[in-house]
Amino acid sequence: MPEEMSHFQQFKSGIVENNPVLVQLLGMCPTLAITNSLENALVMGAAATFVVVMSNLITSLLRKLIQPHVRILIFTLTIATFVTIADMALKAHLYQVSKQLGAFVPLIIVNCIIICRAEVVALKSGVVRSLVDAFGIGIGFTLALSILGVIREILGSGSLTLPGGTKLVELPAGFEPHAWIIMILPPGAFLTLGVVVGVVNYLRQRKPKEVAA
Amino acid sequence: MKKFVHESWLVVVMGGAFAALLATTQSATIDRIRENERQELNTAIAEVVPGVDAAKPPEKLSVAEHDVYRCLDAQGKVVGWAVDATGAGFIDKIRLVVGLSPDGRTITGVKAIWHLETPGLGNKIETKGTENFYPLQYTGKSTQRAMELVKRPAAEPHEIQAITGATYSSQYVMDIVNAVIARVVPELPAEQG
Repeated sequence: MPEEMSHFQQFKSGIVENNPVLVQLLGMCPTLAITNSLENALVMGAAATFVVVMSNLITSLLRKLIQPHVRILIFTLTIATFVTIADMALKAHLYQVSKQLGAFVPLIIVNCIIICRAEVVALKSGVVRSLVDAFGIGIGFTLALSILGVIREILGSGSLTLPGGTKLVELPAGFEPHAWIIMILPPGAFLTLGVVVGVVNYLRQRKPKEVAA
Repeated sequence: MKKFVHESWLVVVMGGAFAALLATTQSATIDRIRENERQELNTAIAEVVPGVDAAKPPEKLSVAEHDVYRCLDAQGKVVGWAVDATGAGFIDKIRLVVGLSPDGRTITGVKAIWHLETPGLGNKIETKGTENFYPLQYTGKSTQRAMELVKRPAAEPHEIQAITGATYSSQYVMDIVNAVIARVVPELPAEQG
């Protein structure tokens, strides 16, 4: 992680240049499993953001005390603790969503994005930079999940519902019976992810040429 | 020894601190989680046993290894039974609440409160209002004989039409309901209701 990056660049990098899902292709398990609706995507994104922020904070505060060969143990301990807290909070306050996310909230523990940020950034940087980075990555993750969630929910369910039950988009009534059920099934996740990553790669490859010209 | 302590004290201290943190969170949220679970069960009971009074918590009994709730109306009269029944599903177990009339002879409703069936297909075992036909077919069925699954519109009184011919979830739900009919219904306490 080049130290000359400004805090803002570090933040933006997690959302755009180094988007964990769309560019680094990390954390594919929740990406594929729970993006069948926008609400699930947002809640999963928020839970993962909370965990990556807390994990980066703790790791960064303790970075001078952590012995190199037990660092993974400490990362896992920290991440597991905050995932469990997030899981309990969801069960208490967003019971229906937590039922839909099922095992995927506890599985944030093995989400490689979070351990990657601890290893690459928090272990080597100060608290502010680590927090900025965590928020950037968390928002980037949430954004990527939401893009997939929006596409899959509209095509697969024929509507788009915000958390709280407000219908944002509703396709004409004639569409619903013909909704592409495949889009909310696992294959739909692969299809959507493939298309979205393809578009992102196309845009990334186009960019430098424009600069050169 | 000194080396061990030097390298491991942080892990031990963090383990202790995090355990305390988790214990605090647990005690702060557990009541609410239990309340959510209770609410969900009560909502399901109200859906499958018509006339149950929400203000009167149903009395919990154990019948044939199932949790069975005796449901009362506002006057304290028994209006039916709700059986909490769990069985195998396609992906994970399915948990149903099955409503029965006071004499146990009629099914008054079936509601899934936990399942991980396939979205768009198997999850039609879940009622959302009056949308999905599959679970609603059980309402009014007699418990005198086991249900049978058919792949065409049901013709006989004991027949239930499957969601699709190839959806296992229809069969799994029926197995749970049939188990309730076979095991719980004959054991229900007699009720002059």
